Amino acid sequence: MSDGKDFVTGVDSSAKRSPRRVVFVTRRTSAQVKAVDEAEVQTFPEVLFRGAVAVELLAIALVAVSLLFSAPLEGLADPSHTPNPAKAPWYFLGLQEMLHYFPPVVAGVLVPGLVVMALIVIPYFNINVEAEGLFSKDRERRLRVFYIVAVALSIFLFSFHVYVALVPTLIVVAFMVAAAQSSLQSPGSFRRYLAAKPLSYWIMTWFLFELVVLTAVGTFFRGPGWSWVWPWRS
Amino acid sequence: MQSSNSALSWWRKFISDPVRTFGAVSVVLLALLAIAPAKNYFSEWRHYQNGYLRLIRNRGDAVTLQRHVQPGIQQIWHPELGVTDRCTSCHVGLKEASLADVSTQPYRKHPVIPHAIDQFGCVMCHRGQGAATTVEEAHSSTLAWEQPLLPARYIQSGCGQCHQKPLDSTPVLNQGRATLARYGCVQCHTVKSPDGTIIKATQDAPALSHVADKTTREWVYAWLKDPQAYAVSTTMPNFQLKDEEARDISAFLMANSTPVVGDTAPETAHKAADPAAGGSLYGEAFCSSCHAVQNAAGNLVGGNVGPELTHIGNKVKPDWLRAWVRNPRVYDAATEMPHYRFNDQQLEVMEGFLLAKKDADLLANVHLDTATPDQIAHGKSLVTEYGCSSCHEISGIKRPENFAPELTRIGSKPVSQLVFLERMPHTLPDYIAAKIRQPRAFGSGLKMPQYTLSLAQIDSLTTALLAQNERAQTLPPALMAPNAPASHYQPAGKAGQLMTDLACFSCHAINGRGGDMAPDLTWEGSSVQRQWLEEFFKNPNTLRPALIRRMPKFNLTNDEITTLTDYIMTVYQTPAFDRDSLPATGYSPTEVEQGKQLFYSKYACQSCHIVDAKVDKGYIGPTLTAVGSRMTGAWVYHWLKDPQLLRPGTVEPNRHMGDEDAKALTAFLMMQKGSVKSQGAKK
Amino acid sequence: MAKTLEQYFDELRGTRVWRSVFRSGTGSSPLHRSLVIQQNVFFHLFATKVRRRMMSFSATWYLGTLTLGTFVILVITGILLMLYYHPSAPQAYADTKDLQFVVSSGLFLRSLHRWSAHAMVFLVFAHMFKVFYRGAYRPPREFNWVIGVVLLLMTLLLSYTGYLLPWDQLAYWAITVGSNIASAAPFVGDKIRFMLLGGNLVNANALLRFYVLHCMILPLVAMFFIAIHFWRIRKDGGLYSLQSQPKVAAAATPLTPAKEAQ
Repeated sequence: MSDGKDFVTGVDSSAKRSPRRVVFVTRRTSAQVKAVDEAEVQTFPEVLFRGAVAVELLAIALVAVSLLFSAPLEGLADPSHTPNPAKAPWYFLGLQEMLHYFPPVVAGVLVPGLVVMALIVIPYFNINVEAEGLFSKDRERRLRVFYIVAVALSIFLFSFHVYVALVPTLIVVAFMVAAAQSSLQSPGSFRRYLAAKPLSYWIMTWFLFELVVLTAVGTFFRGPGWSWVWPWRS
Repeated sequence: MQSSNSALSWWRKFISDPVRTFGAVSVVLLALLAIAPAKNYFSEWRHYQNGYLRLIRNRGDAVTLQRHVQPGIQQIWHPELGVTDRCTSCHVGLKEASLADVSTQPYRKHPVIPHAIDQFGCVMCHRGQGAATTVEEAHSSTLAWEQPLLPARYIQSGCGQCHQKPLDSTPVLNQGRATLARYGCVQCHTVKSPDGTIIKATQDAPALSHVADKTTREWVYAWLKDPQAYAVSTTMPNFQLKDEEARDISAFLMANSTPVVGDTAPETAHKAADPAAGGSLYGEAFCSSCHAVQNAAGNLVGGNVGPELTHIGNKVKPDWLRAWVRNPRVYDAATEMPHYRFNDQQLEVMEGFLLAKKDADLLANVHLDTATPDQIAHGKSLVTEYGCSSCHEISGIKRPENFAPELTRIGSKPVSQLVFLERMPHTLPDYIAAKIRQPRAFGSGLKMPQYTLSLAQIDSLTTALLAQNERAQTLPPALMAPNAPASHYQPAGKAGQLMTDLACFSCHAINGRGGDMAPDLTWEGSSVQRQWLEEFFKNPNTLRPALIRRMPKFNLTNDEITTLTDYIMTVYQTPAFDRDSLPATGYSPTEVEQGKQLFYSKYACQSCHIVDAKVDKGYIGPTLTAVGSRMTGAWVYHWLKDPQLLRPGTVEPNRHMGDEDAKALTAFLMMQKGSVKSQGAKK
Repeated sequence: MAKTLEQYFDELRGTRVWRSVFRSGTGSSPLHRSLVIQQNVFFHLFATKVRRRMMSFSATWYLGTLTLGTFVILVITGILLMLYYHPSAPQAYADTKDLQFVVSSGLFLRSLHRWSAHAMVFLVFAHMFKVFYRGAYRPPREFNWVIGVVLLLMTLLLSYTGYLLPWDQLAYWAITVGSNIASAAPFVGDKIRFMLLGGNLVNANALLRFYVLHCMILPLVAMFFIAIHFWRIRKDGGLYSLQSQPKVAAAATPLTPAKEAQ
């Protein structure tokens, strides 16, 4: 850490122009802290009204949808008549789709628990915070680990016949392979873009892919007995 | 170009001020929000209410009709029945009797029914979604409401939810329920009334434990293959058996049969038929009251209590037939057939007459080899598999429990649980009707046999089954109108044995037990004179000329007649009055003359009854030429005062006579002694 | 015209009554505009000034704002729906029917509530991914990210508990399936399910429990976290805080947000 005083107090003198700002600079903060002058706007009215307009536009869309389409309602709840298939709300259909492949402890508890834990800890790991391309440093070892993990995951999904989860995995792996073959000096801008992406980006993208695909499959492609159906053929 | 540029710059300037944009967007949002109440205002029910107001505007009674109209959503609410019916929001004129000429829905008036329109609401009978206020939701099957409006031909199922007893106004329902019990549906399917009683079959299929005494294996085979080929009116369904299945079942039934002692004792020589004598004996014994025979034109003539006899000669063995007619109770103690006391000569004539009733082609193509043990064993497993013993008693095979699905709540079964055929409407009534019409079409492995039913019978059965629903099972007890509990009345002593032997209960009802073919005898002892009754037993003549079913002659001995008469006169008396309170004779001529006036002018009794056979033409009620010899004075008097009190449901109208009129009419009627004396003297 | 309208409005803002309610007073000077934010219990969660760049659409797609918007719509329509609803079986279903057939605009209210609820779930997910891909979870905003994850779970629970309330087949079986997933947890799964449903089956107890959770407990908890979430945006340096820029270019210097990237 750089040497500095315990703290420095700075006062912006142009109080007319902007409210007073007090900056505490502690020992742990770099002494190089300095304000970057940047164009600023008043929250009121600029930001608040823009936000209000955005919300109103959304409200217009929702009101229009509500006027055109009524909320679904089925027959009175009847514990003795199970509809086939019985589906959870749509945002849980990814989970329900996984329940089709894995035991409930894995699909219903372990996976969602791990996902929530992973989401929470994201900002607390430096590997997530650093923003270097995944393969730009320690390339050999990272490539080795990546290939092992990718192959192992694919075999695992394949052996459980989880093809709907395997396809997004393979797509993300393909992009990662492309990223591994690229660098920041690559000719194509897309390859430079891929090369700059850190590990956390890849994991999150994989998660997003799986979430979208599994939810879509559970919502549209599952019929009686959780069998595969084509939504346009009914 | 210039203008579009300036428009663009104006637009840029406009949205650059967020406050102004906010104002503009707010206006759009508010306008959009205003659509919701507008949508609410232009609702379907308001449209129909306005249409009704336009309809009645130019009618003569517009003011009255308008006063009855209440604007807004109307509802009939019976929380205890789960009824919230808003149908009257659009069907505004349901209760307006003066709208009889209006035929456009939703303004038609409701037909007259025994209940007030709003006593139970609409969906109790009509189904559909009562709470809905749009045409589509109220009448059709939707995601939120499965049961659409019930087609009108099944409407009597609504009555059957409360009324378990047959009603005069529900012929379809009554027929359906009778069919359900008669065709043995309830032998395989359990069907419970809301009070928990299981509906019983009204016709017991014959026991097959001694079938070899009665008939041949060839006949059994042909019968199994196609029962209707032998007797068109039989209730035995066609199981659509393969040849070897029918072969093996017939083999098993024959091998399983045990002889009945005394059933087929060797008889004297069987004589050739004497059609004339046989025909007249068949007629005198009134066999056709219970048994039908197909005539040359193909029409069935006769009753349906006993089996059809068109081809009886193909079926029965002569020895068995002779023994059966001599005394049916030897073979089947519980049979509904009376024990006629025929003498040997009569038996011979009857046997010859019946055996001649055959179709030479019926069994011509049936050739069966001797059954092997394997075939017999296979036959036994088939008998178990097809549930034959649900209806027929077969020794060695137990009656299966819950052989077919219970139908107690079939009328509210969710459509989602049904499997439909292709191209058939997905509604419950259609499913039930189709399943009755062609049960095997719903799957090759199904066991339900093919019945021979008319379309009207299928509709009536469907109606009866639709009445078996959840609502009927969960009605408040106050609304249940249960059937009278089954009576097991059995008269005691020697007379009782005699009545069983003569199968009186096959035709007559006493104390709630018995058939409805002949008059109820519960109060017979108060009603008739002893002397007449004795004469009647000796030679039962007809009372009602319009009827073809009459009391047969049983050839009773004098002792038997005395026993029966004593019992009837003593036991079957009404508590309502004293039999001997009015005399049989000795009325003053003035009274008689006054009664005659009343009979012919004031009450015009001659339109239904005959007193003077030369003049009167009334054939609806019983002939009264000999009523003074038949009835007791007290019965006639009280009958005139209130016929329904003595016999509920009789067609005789209650004329609300005063004591004096009734007395005078009784005097007149008791003087009608007829010619009974001379008949008795002839005997 | 517009000018006079503005004048009227300024006049209104100058009245004693208005001043007693909104203490910022008339005027459009930066001071007054700052006061609007500072003197308002709700707005004071925001900074009085923000960087101009944060208003750009591409930065946030306004997803957080829109999520708040759906929440507000849901609160308003939800309160109106509560007026017509009994949380008892099977009356709940009859009430839902009455909303459709008898209550003025009842079906519209219910539809708006339901579609907004779906929109909110979707927007929360979208917001999360947008924040992630912008790298806005990085220090010093770690904790606000965590609160965001909590709010995601709150949203899912709110939607899930509301799903049961119409008491139709859709609701009943969706909740049954969902609660069966919960019971798969080892050792405590059945206990969790029992606690959630107030019994071993989805029945009237579950309906009441879900009603209380949906209309009372979860909205209050969600509002509490939403307040913290907003407050932390300001405290963590506002949108477009320099710290959260990826430090690709300045990887060697630890935590020194000296210059803007690129």
